[in-house]
Amino acid sequence: MLPLDRYPKEITLRDGACVTFRPMVREDVAPLWDFFKRISPEDRMYLREDVAKRVEVERWARDLDYDAVLPILAFCGGFVVGDATLHRNRTGWKQRVGTVRILISPDFRHRGLGTAMIRELRHLGEKASLHYLLAEVIEEQQAAVRAFEKLGFERMSVLRNYVNDQKGNLHNLVVLLYPMSDADEEVLY
Amino acid sequence: MARKTSRTGKGPFAPDPGGYCPTCGLETGEHRGKPTGEKRACPYEGLAYPELRAGHDRIYFGPWRKMNAGPADVVRAYNQIGRHLNSIERVLGGLDLPAARRDHLKAVEACRLGDPREDSQEALRFMDNALSYAHRVIDDLLHERGFPSHAPMEFAEWYDAVEVPFRDEW
Repeated sequence: MLPLDRYPKEITLRDGACVTFRPMVREDVAPLWDFFKRISPEDRMYLREDVAKRVEVERWARDLDYDAVLPILAFCGGFVVGDATLHRNRTGWKQRVGTVRILISPDFRHRGLGTAMIRELRHLGEKASLHYLLAEVIEEQQAAVRAFEKLGFERMSVLRNYVNDQKGNLHNLVVLLYPMSDADEEVLY
Repeated sequence: MARKTSRTGKGPFAPDPGGYCPTCGLETGEHRGKPTGEKRACPYEGLAYPELRAGHDRIYFGPWRKMNAGPADVVRAYNQIGRHLNSIERVLGGLDLPAARRDHLKAVEACRLGDPREDSQEALRFMDNALSYAHRVIDDLLHERGFPSHAPMEFAEWYDAVEVPFRDEW
């Protein structure tokens, strides 16, 4: 069980804007749906789920299970401006690997919010006793790749033409891995 | 954290134009870019962790990274990095920040490998890595208190450094 007593957490961005981080709750369907509507169709093409459907967001809210997926939302002025999720497996061979996904509102990009959200997930990953955090980013999203690398994620591979967007175009996928507390020791055995 | 007492710890800090800055701990002469009249203002005043920011920036903008750096510049910077890492360690103290703690360990290890007094071909690279890890720890500390990351280039003019019109942030 992750300790969530650090939330709500106030974060000031470099330009002075204040955002609040907190875990998503069931009542967040409307602001989260509004957030996804502000994501351009081009950006939505890179997402795994079809967030153009409100029913999908409603399903997330209904099935919230922080031990499996912990969504941290960034709010500013009542609007969701960022969504960072930490995905974990309770059992199995990847139970020590957390997967992180981050989506930032277009008007909050290049302001340090993405970096702050990566930092937040890195902290949560450490507290969850994970050994690795995994991030997968479309190669075109270079700012995101650099932000992950700046915070210690290592580029493990670039999978050529590995994923397709919703129009069917193929894209390279960058796989980044962040080794955590006990990862190095475990690898030795 | 502002230094409340003198370096000897025997009383309130007495401002001294030739001494140490009560805010960031640097020698006041190092705030050479923007003297405000007779008073030399500290660019880190009012910011969180001013001494760590200043400790980082004096190394970051130091002569050891310039093309014409001599061996003495490099050794001086190496010693500064060691002291800087000690300062960070003191601040990290009992804080529950495992990622920051591990980055600090990486910084210490890089610093150990980068001793320029040994015959290390890669001393500069290791020193640079140590400083970079240290920067990450400072940013973790700032994030924990809800502040934005430390951006050295915002203080470049105080160190006679050339501003780079580029910011890479997500």
